[in-house]
Amino acid sequence: MMGISLGKSTRRSLLAMSLPVYVLLYAPLLLIAIFSFAPPPLARGQTFYWYADLLHSPEVIAAFRRSLTLAIGSSVLGTALGTLMGFGLYRYRDRRARGFASALPSLIIYTPIIMPSLVFGISELIFFSFIHGATGLLGAGLLTMGIAHVTFEAPFVALVVFARLSGLDPNMFEASHDLYADARQSFLHLTVPVIRPAIIGGFLLAFTLSIDDFTISFFTAGPGSTTLPIYIYSAVARKGVSPDINALATLMIATVIGTGLLQYAFTRNRTRKLVARPGD
Amino acid sequence: MAGPLVSAAMKAQHAASGPEVAERRGQIVLEDISRVFAADAIAVDRVNLVIHPGEFFTLLGPSGCGKTTLLRMIAGFETPDSGRILVSGREMQAVPAHHRPVNTVFQSYALFPHLSVAENVGFGLRMRRIARAERRTRTRRIMELLQIDAFAGRNPAQLSGGQRQRVALARALVNEPEVVLLDEPLSALDAKLRAELQVELMRMQKRLGMTFIFVTHDQHEALVMSDRIGVMQRGRLLQVGPVLDVYERPSSVFVAEFLGLSNIWPVTPLPGGLIETPLGRLAIGAPDPARGTAMIRPEKIWMYGEGGAPAGRANLLGGIVREAIYMGASTQYRVELENGAPLLVYDTNNQAAERSWRPGEAVTCELKPENIVLIGA
Repeated sequence: MMGISLGKSTRRSLLAMSLPVYVLLYAPLLLIAIFSFAPPPLARGQTFYWYADLLHSPEVIAAFRRSLTLAIGSSVLGTALGTLMGFGLYRYRDRRARGFASALPSLIIYTPIIMPSLVFGISELIFFSFIHGATGLLGAGLLTMGIAHVTFEAPFVALVVFARLSGLDPNMFEASHDLYADARQSFLHLTVPVIRPAIIGGFLLAFTLSIDDFTISFFTAGPGSTTLPIYIYSAVARKGVSPDINALATLMIATVIGTGLLQYAFTRNRTRKLVARPGD
Repeated sequence: MAGPLVSAAMKAQHAASGPEVAERRGQIVLEDISRVFAADAIAVDRVNLVIHPGEFFTLLGPSGCGKTTLLRMIAGFETPDSGRILVSGREMQAVPAHHRPVNTVFQSYALFPHLSVAENVGFGLRMRRIARAERRTRTRRIMELLQIDAFAGRNPAQLSGGQRQRVALARALVNEPEVVLLDEPLSALDAKLRAELQVELMRMQKRLGMTFIFVTHDQHEALVMSDRIGVMQRGRLLQVGPVLDVYERPSSVFVAEFLGLSNIWPVTPLPGGLIETPLGRLAIGAPDPARGTAMIRPEKIWMYGEGGAPAGRANLLGGIVREAIYMGASTQYRVELENGAPLLVYDTNNQAAERSWRPGEAVTCELKPENIVLIGA
């Protein structure tokens, strides 16, 4: 590792600037985790009291199940679509395009990503109620939530896949055709294995996004499709932050961090191998 | 109905097609090929070219001259906007890249990062669904030939540049294509490795008898390796011919300058086998009033010290050495002639110090009439 040697005073001022940031970033998360282990006043010594309490709430269990179903289902579909989207935008982009046209693939991917989720959620709500009003299909529920989740996850997956493809030698794909692979063979024997880490990383990212999404879920949910974030929101709105919410939040933090680490492991392991190009 | 006539014609055609097709195996014919990227960007401009079976043909030109685009059209990665491409006598218009009897070695090698060296080499055979046993034998044989069998299990990322180059070559050759297309395959290597691989490529090509089309911007590489070269500029094929012809008798100033250093002047023909040049009047071997430019390669000029020039010879010009660049095997001199005109001269350092001139020394240069070449423009 190469480090830049810094003067003592520089180091000190950098520390003074960065420390508050880290504290503000991580202290609240840490605090929730600590509070979640606090036993109730009448049951000293029971560290996991609130966790046990959660397990005994059928509402929480049902919400958790729903969240998991939604996250897994939507991210499987979102990953498949996002992968094809990333691949398609890469494969059929105009390499000689300049200016706006050359930025088009990125714009297509980034627009849904940077769209405020409030706007996204409301527009989905309007869209679904329009469809429902016109055809009687797609009543608000887990299905509409799923569609909305797939819609916002796919661009993230596409982004990861597109970035991976862009980092590869474009001649590789031509080389596969040169070596007698038709479009299908090239996709199966070259593209898929080469972008596999990006697909897995994209899936885990989509999963993380789905499991803790509140805004879009809130607008597209219907009766009986309360997911964990919606449950937490309504519980807090009803009776304020209770200790069991701390436990629930901590579980979610753990899930998200776990998924994040998994994603890191998948994308990092093969990065070096894959970006290696002649001349390095 | 002209039944007998038709059948006779068919028979004749049939009789001709056998040996003729065999003769055309590995032949490339380009007919009026053009590729236009934009109104102001004509990549390839009406190129006509026949490359013979088993030939080492080099497309030479500066970057952006269209040589790579031409190669990519033969490979099937780009489609010509007009013209026909025939490989081994077959029209390639409707044939996609994966069905063409050619294989490409890319400048960037384009090895598959997720496959081992052996899997990379065997990729083409696998895609063609060649039986595993045959695949293994052919892969092993070509890896031994190119001396990469020791790395068979490694990943491309673990190889050096030269080794990757060999893998890329093996990956193309293992398919025994009729034509191998090489797009500046040596440009990423250092000089020594490059020289080694140049020789190896030539040997490989002669041994396997395949047609090689080699693209490079390096005139030295082109001279060393090729049977024939085609020089390109701004999408046009300027001159095609054996290496020696193109170097010694360039058809244009661009070709002359691209293939090496030269002394070039506008000239006016005079009666009696003379030409009027900025250096003065010179005698030439073969006068041609239609050609207004003359060239002499610096190594074709003989240089003598004070009083050393043989008497009674034509085209002896006195001058003073202004610059001497020692290059090991030879020295490059810039001589200022008596009338002020500059002249570039190479002299082989074959006799140690006495034949080396220093700046300021007076010399006599001999431009033998047969060494002066007239070119079109």
